[in-house]
Amino acid sequence: MSAHASDKFVYHEPGLQHQFEDMKQQEESVSIGMWLFLAQEIMFFGGLFTAYLVYRSRYPMAFAAASNHLDAFWGGLNTLVLIVSSLTMALTVYYAQKSNRNMQVIMIILTMIFGAVFLGVKGIEYTDKYHHGLVPMAGLNQRVKADKNAHHETEKPCWEVDRNAPPAVHPNPRGEFLWTDCSLAKLAQDENILTPSERFGYYSGGQIDIEKFKGIVRIFYYLYFVMTGLHALHMIIGLGLMTWLLWTAWKGNYNSEYYMPVEMSGLYWHFVDIVWIFLFPLLYLLGRHFNH
Amino acid sequence: MQSADVIGSGFSETPKLNYLTNGTTLKSWLLTKDHKRIAIMYLISVSVFFLMGGIYAATIRLELLTPASDLLETGTYNKVFTQHGILMIFFFLIPSIPAVLGNFLLPIMIGAKDLALPRINLLSLYLYWLGGAIALYGLMQGGVDTGWTFYTPYSTTFSNSYVLAVGVGIFINGFSSILTGLNFIVTIHTMRAPGMTWFRLPLFVWAMYAVSLVMILGTPVVAITVLLVAIERVARVGIFDPAIGGDPILFQHMFWFYSHPAVYIMVLPGMGVVSELISNFSRKKIFGYEFIAFSSIAIAVFGFLVWGHHMFVSGQSIYASMVFSFLTMVVAIPSAIKMFNWTATLYKGSIDFSTPMLYGLGFMGLFLIGGLTGLYLGAIGLTVHLTDTYYVVSHFHYVMVGGQVVAYLGGLHYWWPKMTGKMYSEFWGKTSAMLVFVGFNLTFFPQLILGYMGMPRRYAAYPPEMQVLNIFSTAGASVLGIGMLMPVVYLLHSLVYGKPAGDNPWRLPGLEWRTSSPPPTENFEKMPVVTWEAYEFGEDNGLDLEEDRRRDLAPVG
Amino acid sequence: MAKDPEHVHMEHDHMTIPKYLGVFAVLVVGTILTYWVATIDLDFIFPGANTLVALLIAFTKMACVMLFFMHVYWSPKLIWLAVVASFFWMAIMFAFTMADYFTRATGVFTT
Repeated sequence: MSAHASDKFVYHEPGLQHQFEDMKQQEESVSIGMWLFLAQEIMFFGGLFTAYLVYRSRYPMAFAAASNHLDAFWGGLNTLVLIVSSLTMALTVYYAQKSNRNMQVIMIILTMIFGAVFLGVKGIEYTDKYHHGLVPMAGLNQRVKADKNAHHETEKPCWEVDRNAPPAVHPNPRGEFLWTDCSLAKLAQDENILTPSERFGYYSGGQIDIEKFKGIVRIFYYLYFVMTGLHALHMIIGLGLMTWLLWTAWKGNYNSEYYMPVEMSGLYWHFVDIVWIFLFPLLYLLGRHFNH
Repeated sequence: MQSADVIGSGFSETPKLNYLTNGTTLKSWLLTKDHKRIAIMYLISVSVFFLMGGIYAATIRLELLTPASDLLETGTYNKVFTQHGILMIFFFLIPSIPAVLGNFLLPIMIGAKDLALPRINLLSLYLYWLGGAIALYGLMQGGVDTGWTFYTPYSTTFSNSYVLAVGVGIFINGFSSILTGLNFIVTIHTMRAPGMTWFRLPLFVWAMYAVSLVMILGTPVVAITVLLVAIERVARVGIFDPAIGGDPILFQHMFWFYSHPAVYIMVLPGMGVVSELISNFSRKKIFGYEFIAFSSIAIAVFGFLVWGHHMFVSGQSIYASMVFSFLTMVVAIPSAIKMFNWTATLYKGSIDFSTPMLYGLGFMGLFLIGGLTGLYLGAIGLTVHLTDTYYVVSHFHYVMVGGQVVAYLGGLHYWWPKMTGKMYSEFWGKTSAMLVFVGFNLTFFPQLILGYMGMPRRYAAYPPEMQVLNIFSTAGASVLGIGMLMPVVYLLHSLVYGKPAGDNPWRLPGLEWRTSSPPPTENFEKMPVVTWEAYEFGEDNGLDLEEDRRRDLAPVG
Repeated sequence: MAKDPEHVHMEHDHMTIPKYLGVFAVLVVGTILTYWVATIDLDFIFPGANTLVALLIAFTKMACVMLFFMHVYWSPKLIWLAVVASFFWMAIMFAFTMADYFTRATGVFTT
C-alpha cells in the first residue's frame, strides 16, 4: 500500500488502510463484511440443518432412539462452557473498548481455556462413540474380538433390548457401526404412532427389521458427526484467531479508538456459540422424554 | 466545474505511473492489493479455463458430426461433456464478468480507490487458483463422468472417476466466489464517492450487487452439498444413497438451491453490461433506470424460489412442482422488464454500431430466445417431453453463452481501451462480433429442433435421420469458435500496435471515463465528486457534443 | 450511508458488566431449562411439543447472544437486514424443500 502516491501527502491514522478515507469508513466496511461472512456461514450450516430436518421429520422414532445414546450431560456441560466463553469474549470486547490491556489479555486467555475445554469434552464424547461402535463409518470403531464365553446378548429380539441400560460392548471384530435396539420403534408401533414413512423405512416383511432401523440410526450419527465435526472445526479456527488476538492484545494494539479486530473475532466466536445453541437440543435432547 | 477538472486530469505533461507500470516485478503482481491487477490476473485465468472448456466443446461437436460414437468411446464422451460443463460453469462463467470486469470497474465506477477489502480480494483470487488447480489435477488424473450436476447416487457410490478432487476444487472455488460477492456488497455500501447516491450508480453496479447477494446466500449451500458428497464417497455412508435409507432427491434440492440462482450469477452480470452498452451507445439516458435496477434485485430474490423446475421429472411432489412452475413464470417478469426498457432506450437513440454495441444487440436477440425457451421448460406438462433433450441444452446455451459470454465479450471490448489504454481494430472487432452472432445461432438453433424431435443430451450416438441438423450445428460451432478466437489475436495485437485510446474514447459521462487510461493505481488523481445523474449526456456534463456531431457526419468505418 | 456519521464508531457505553452478567444468567437458565423440559413428555399437548419448546428456548438464547453480546441491538439497519435476510433465506430453503416432502403421494416418503 506504500506504493500509493496519495499516501505521501495524506496523514493517516495508525491502522487505517489506504483505500479508506477515515476510520469510520473502515470500521463500517469491516463490520458489514463480517456480518455478510456470518450470513454465508448461516447458509452453510443451513444446508446441514435442511438435511437434518428432512430425515428427522421422516424418521422421528429412529432419531429419538439414536439421540438417546448421546450423553446429554456432556452436551449440556459443553453448552454451558461455550456460554461462559461467549461471556468472556464479550468482556474482551468490553475491556478493549475501555482500553484495559491486562483484562483483555486475561479474558482472551479465559476464552481460549473454555474453548479448549469444549474441544476436550467433544474428544471424550467421540472416544465414547468409538468404544460403543457408534461411528457411522465402517472400520473407525474400536475392534472388539468375539468372546466365545460371553452370553449371547444379541440373540434377544431387538425390541426387548433395555434402552435405559448403559450401552453394552458387543463383539465387533471389524469395527463396524453397531446397533441392536429397536425398542422405541416397537413402543411407537404398539401405540400406533408410527408414520407411514417410518413403516416404510423400518419394516421388512410386515415387522420391524433391525438392519433397516440400524441404517437410519446410522444416518443420525452421520449427521451428528458431520454437524458437530464442522462445528468443532469452526472452534479450532476460532482458537487460532484467539491466539493471534492474544498476541496482538498483549502488544497493546487495542484501545477505545481501535478495537475492530477484537470485535470482529468476537462476532465469529459468538456465531459458533449460536450454532451450538441449536445443535444441543436438536441432537442431544430430542428423544429424552421417552426414557422416563 | 468539478467534473471538468477530473476529465482534464488525464492530459498532464509528465508521464505518470499507471496501474500497469507501477511496479513491474512478479512479486508486485502476485502480492498486489490493487483491484485492477487482480482483475487482469483473473482475466488471464478465466481465459485459460475458457479455452480448455472450448476445446472440450469442440470435441463434443466433432463427435456429434456422425450418428455413431466413432470419435470417442461413450465413457470418454461422458467425461468430455462433464468437464466441458464443470470448467465452463464453475471456472469461467461464474467468475467471468464479476471477477474480471466487476473487479476492475466497480471501484472506479463508484469513485473509490479500491475495493473495501483488498486483501480479501487477493485471497479470493488465490482460492480461485487453488480450486482450479485441484480441479485440473482431478481432470488430468482421469476426469469425472458424472455430469456437472454430480447427481447422486451415481456420484457418491458408483462413479469410478475423480469426483473427490474435482468436488474439493469446486468447494474451494465456491469460497472465492463468496468472498468476491462479499467484497462487492461492502464496497457498494461504504465506498461510494461524495454525490454518488444509490440512484446515480451505473446499472452495472446494481447488477453486481444483485449477483453478490446470490453468491453470498447461495454458494455456501452448494459448498456443503459438495462436501457431503465427498464425505459420502470416502466414508461409504451418508444421506444421498437410497440403498442405505437416503434420498437422492434431497441432493437435488440442495444442489439446485444454489445452482439455479447460480444461473442468475451467469446472466445478471451480462444484463448489467448490456444496460451500460445500450444506453451509452445510443447516447441516450437509459429508459426506466429504477425498473432495471430493481428488476436485478428481483431476479436475484425470485431466483431462489424456483429451483424445483429442474426436478419436475425426478420424483418431486407434483404439488411442489406446480408452485415452482408458477414461480418460474414470475421470474420472466423482471427479465422482460429489462428487455422492454432496453428496447425503449434504443428508440430514437443515436445508435453507434461499434463493436461493443454489436455484442450488446446480439445479447438482446440471443437472450430473448434463451428466455422464451425457458418458459417452455418451466411448464410442467411440456417439460416431460423436453427434459434431458437438446432443447434444454440449447436453451441454457442461449442464456449462458448468448447471454453471459456475449455480454462478457462486449464488456471486454467496451472497457478494453480503459483497461489497457490501447484501441483494437474496429474492423476485426465488428467482424468477430458478427461471426459470434451468426455462428452461435447456427450452432444452437438446430439443437432446439433436435431437442423437440427428441434427441437426448449426454449421448455420443443418435439416430441417422438427425444427422443433417447436427452437421449444421457443428458447422456453426466452427464459425463460433473462429469468432471467439479472433479477439484473442487482435486484442493481444492491440496491446503492442494499437492506437492510444485516450481517456474517453467513447465520449461517455461515466466515472470510469473520467480518469486516465490505464487508470493510476489509486484510480483518481483526487476524490471525484459526482454532480450528474447516471447516463446523463449533455454539454454541461463535460462532454464535447461538437465532436459527436462531427463523428456522426463522418463516413462509417 | 457511507458518510452518515450516525452509524460510525459504534458507541461503547450501552453495555456494562452487570448487563453482560444478566444476559449470561438468562443463557444459563435457558440451558438448564431446555435440559429439564426435554425430560418431560409434552406429547399430551400435541405430538412434537418437546421440539417446539426446545427450539423456542434456543431462539430466545440466540436472540440474547445476537442482540447483546454481538451488539446487534445498537447496530445500523443494514446489519439487522443481513441477519434477517440470512434467516429468511434459510427459511426459504426449509420451506420449499419440505413443501416437496410433505406433499408426496399419500404421505409416504418414497425413496
